[in-house]
Amino acid sequence: MITDNDELKDFKLRPMKCECNYLNRSDGSAILSQGQTVAVVSVNGPLDIKMQSQSIGKATLEVLFSSKGGKPSIGDRYKEHVIRQTCESAILGCLYPRTGITVTIQELEDYGGFLACCLNACCLALLNAGLAMRHTFAAVSCAIDEQGNIQLDPAPAQLETSRATMTFVFESREKSLVTAFTDGSYSDSAYSEAMERCRSASDLVFQFYKQIVSKYSYVIG
Amino acid sequence: MKVAVGEVVLPGDQCEEISLVGEKSKVILGPGLRKEVDGITITKAGTLKKRSPNTYWVDNYQKRYIPSRGENVIGVVVQKAGDIFRVDVGGSCSASLSYLSFEGATKKNRPKVNIGDVVYAKMLVASKDMEPELVCVDSHGKKGRLGVLEEGFVFKCSLNLVRKILNPECPLLNSLKNEWPFELAAGLNGRIWIKAKTMRETIAVGNAILGCEYLNTDEIKSMCTNIASILAGHVS
Repeated sequence: MITDNDELKDFKLRPMKCECNYLNRSDGSAILSQGQTVAVVSVNGPLDIKMQSQSIGKATLEVLFSSKGGKPSIGDRYKEHVIRQTCESAILGCLYPRTGITVTIQELEDYGGFLACCLNACCLALLNAGLAMRHTFAAVSCAIDEQGNIQLDPAPAQLETSRATMTFVFESREKSLVTAFTDGSYSDSAYSEAMERCRSASDLVFQFYKQIVSKYSYVIG
Repeated sequence: MKVAVGEVVLPGDQCEEISLVGEKSKVILGPGLRKEVDGITITKAGTLKKRSPNTYWVDNYQKRYIPSRGENVIGVVVQKAGDIFRVDVGGSCSASLSYLSFEGATKKNRPKVNIGDVVYAKMLVASKDMEPELVCVDSHGKKGRLGVLEEGFVFKCSLNLVRKILNPECPLLNSLKNEWPFELAAGLNGRIWIKAKTMRETIAVGNAILGCEYLNTDEIKSMCTNIASILAGHVS
């Protein structure tokens, strides 16, 4: 699926920094910064949950998103839903039936590409918690400006002049699309071009995951 | 992505090496590995390890305990319900411990176990679909080292740390036991029970264990002598 077009290989994401096990009382946690955008994610589970929310075949995933202001808005609930569906596709819930897994996300700084940052932080926290997963996932955001140029991982200034913003999530096995979250107006061809660009840029995120996991496993082992 | 033994792996990676061995002989897949239609897939992030002849597993960081059969764990009795005790072992649901599974226990002669007691027990039944069950005797009906732990101090840590200090190659316990006497029970559910003569000594053992999580063999040895000299009063 990956195109070998040279133009698509010319990409750059803002620098990523991560610390796993940032919160010492949760089962798994990660703080991730992508440029100036920062999010903290904590994962707890598998836990005992209420009888009515248990499901016999798989683990029940609960995502809580709390913004900087602390007041939940409708947009936040929608983000929770997107993140929950993405995580659900990655976690092997069938190994933990009748249990609950809680993912809590705290916004620290939003300077563009916040949803992508949240999703990447979620993936790192899930890896840190040691939950069984089908695959890892990487989110990349991009913006399309008035002229139709595609800008990967946009900064706030670029977002202001953009016509549409998109966030794509890819899985690590076949780099196939897991989630697409778009906003604004764009043409069909712009959409597919943005997706291909984000797909090739997701390699950088996967490399970053590997780098973080190696760093931690050498210390522990 | 294709991976080999000894490498750092991520969920979704495939290991061809194991499938090739599996065609000729039986292989044992440990935690973090899963058989799928198109081969062996990794499900946890960590280092892929192998023990001869054919056992493979992923060594990953984890804090939450998932019960598995035959492991010795430390639990807290939370409820007495008829002829069973409910024991919290840190898993997703509490484990059951029958009052008959203590040494010398009969219907007339009940063991003395109260709510809040700490027990060192073995997992007899552990499956994702069933409630875990504990026993405090071995198959000969002897208690061995299992049973209620009196006094002492319990603390929690990561599952990796317990496995690390129980590893015969880890010098921590060997160095510490030469310095001052103490008792220790390590549960594979990430709980450690310690008991020494004084509170000062107990705290020293606890700190030594928690301090060795990210240290290598030589660093652990020097840390142990350091703690021993502080305890003896040579260094303040």
